[in-house]
Amino acid sequence: MIFEKRTERLFLAIFFIIALCIPLFLEANSFFVGKITTILILSVFVMSLDFLVGRVGLVTLGHALFYGLGGYLFVILTPEYEAVNFWIYALYVMGLSALVALIVGVVVLRTSGIYFIMITLAISQMAYYFFFDSLEFGGGDGLFIFMKPDTSIFGLSFLNLDNPTHFYYLSLLAVLITLVAIKIILRSRFGRIVEASRLNPERTEALGYNIFAFRLISYIIGSTLAAYAGLLFALQYGYVNPQFMTWEMSGTALVMSILGGMGTIYGAILGTITYEALLYLFEHMSEDWMLFMGGAIILMVLLLRKGLAGYLEKLLEK
Amino acid sequence: MSTELFFVQLINGLQYGLLLFLIASGLTLVFGVMGILNLAHGSMYMVGAYLVWYFVAVTGSFTVAAILSAIIALGLGILIERVLIQRLYHRNHLDQVLLTIGMIFVFNSLQSILWGNDPYGVAVPEALSGAVPFTDNSSYPIYRIFAALICIGIAAALYFVVSKTRLGMLIRAGESNREMVEALGVNIKSLYTIVFAIGVMLAAISGIIAAPMRSIVPGMGESVLITCFVVVVIGGMGSIKGAFVGALLVGVISTFAAVLMPTMSNMVIYLFMILVLLVKPQGLFAK
Repeated sequence: MIFEKRTERLFLAIFFIIALCIPLFLEANSFFVGKITTILILSVFVMSLDFLVGRVGLVTLGHALFYGLGGYLFVILTPEYEAVNFWIYALYVMGLSALVALIVGVVVLRTSGIYFIMITLAISQMAYYFFFDSLEFGGGDGLFIFMKPDTSIFGLSFLNLDNPTHFYYLSLLAVLITLVAIKIILRSRFGRIVEASRLNPERTEALGYNIFAFRLISYIIGSTLAAYAGLLFALQYGYVNPQFMTWEMSGTALVMSILGGMGTIYGAILGTITYEALLYLFEHMSEDWMLFMGGAIILMVLLLRKGLAGYLEKLLEK
Repeated sequence: MSTELFFVQLINGLQYGLLLFLIASGLTLVFGVMGILNLAHGSMYMVGAYLVWYFVAVTGSFTVAAILSAIIALGLGILIERVLIQRLYHRNHLDQVLLTIGMIFVFNSLQSILWGNDPYGVAVPEALSGAVPFTDNSSYPIYRIFAALICIGIAAALYFVVSKTRLGMLIRAGESNREMVEALGVNIKSLYTIVFAIGVMLAAISGIIAAPMRSIVPGMGESVLITCFVVVVIGGMGSIKGAFVGALLVGVISTFAAVLMPTMSNMVIYLFMILVLLVKPQGLFAK
């Protein structure tokens, strides 16, 4: 069983049952189906960050770079007025993002600790300004997706991306695949070595493992998953702009992941849902929602040391 | 580029660099001594600018407003350290990042509640208005020269305090071995409170000095924060000397980049920082 903890299994069972049923109870075009789809997509992004920060030990403050890149690459690669095949182009986007992650990874992984935080921040800021100041990529307005791609496999079409319910299930599928993929990676020999190099880099190195290579591959995996999430987000809203890449975006994802319980992976889903729910609540309660959100974040750091997942585990794992 | 333009831009760059140093010095001081990464440091800069704007409007005097604002900032620093930061000394950087992100939310929100979201400006004080002639057809504002001098003065004072006084000795000792300093009977808790409050005050003073030169707008803290990160990373986290060199480099480079290659000027300082880290992964003046 790749899901080791009882709390984890319980949460995921409840989550997937509710998530599968939601479109049955809500109007397909309603605000909430769209909102929940966004939360699912963000969960994929936050899980990929949680993997990097909590499990590989790479505290990045520039993860949004790949979130934005997923959207931008898709729009740049596709012809403007022609529907392309979603699966093929998703592979292109992920492949190119992996290549970018390889190059960026070689640079950033030379540093560690607080310098790693800062250099990832700097590179994502560079990318932000690159797109923001560029004329050919739409500057601050970004680029628009005019044709939703078609999703047929071998001529068989069972998904229509213009249909919000179909898009919802596509996003839920992304959550499932990301979750299972990360869990399988962590259970594998590769994952064990990666975790060993987070817990004790010197000893792992002394055992003969090239920890740079293991970290680099992990960085590429995490970044590619983030790019896929960004691609989905861009498709849902039909555009991509530099706001996808801000450091606030990276920071918010970090908050979500810590809120859920760093390194637990399923906690990333829990954290994303909780953060978005709180945000929705506060935004509707008061114009000064930022005050409440900030207060909630501060209280959470002081009181919930292991995040929501840690709290649930303490309640249920006895 | 003519020689004249070159010198004007060089002075602009140095003056901007000195202001950056003043902001970054607090950030790097707090990090160096306490190991705390304060993302809300930019918010303190914003607080300084808004406070001085408010007190100028109330009292009519820039000097009085500046002094009041600096004192309030010092008090605010003590309060924040005592209530929040103190609980984080034994936590990792991640928790510090998160807590200080929460603080950014709170300060931005308080700013909008107290003062609204309109942009404001502070008039240059009467005595410092006007400009000195530079060449036949160019001149340089007196206030900017004054601001640069204040920054140099504070840099010198900071250097003196850290390297020549008892407080500075304790600060340096606390940097290298917290437990030992504690064991020698120094009250490290109040030392930390003082250092953090000084850091906050330095950021606020920068905001006060910048207020007559820049517009006071929501979000001004975050944009300056990221630039300060670049400065302290180039210099080496925790090194005040490094922050000084890094700030001047960033100030001059970004000023010239804005003139020479306007379409990619925003990227240049990040590129520079990445190059520095590739050569020296711990910054120029790493400890």
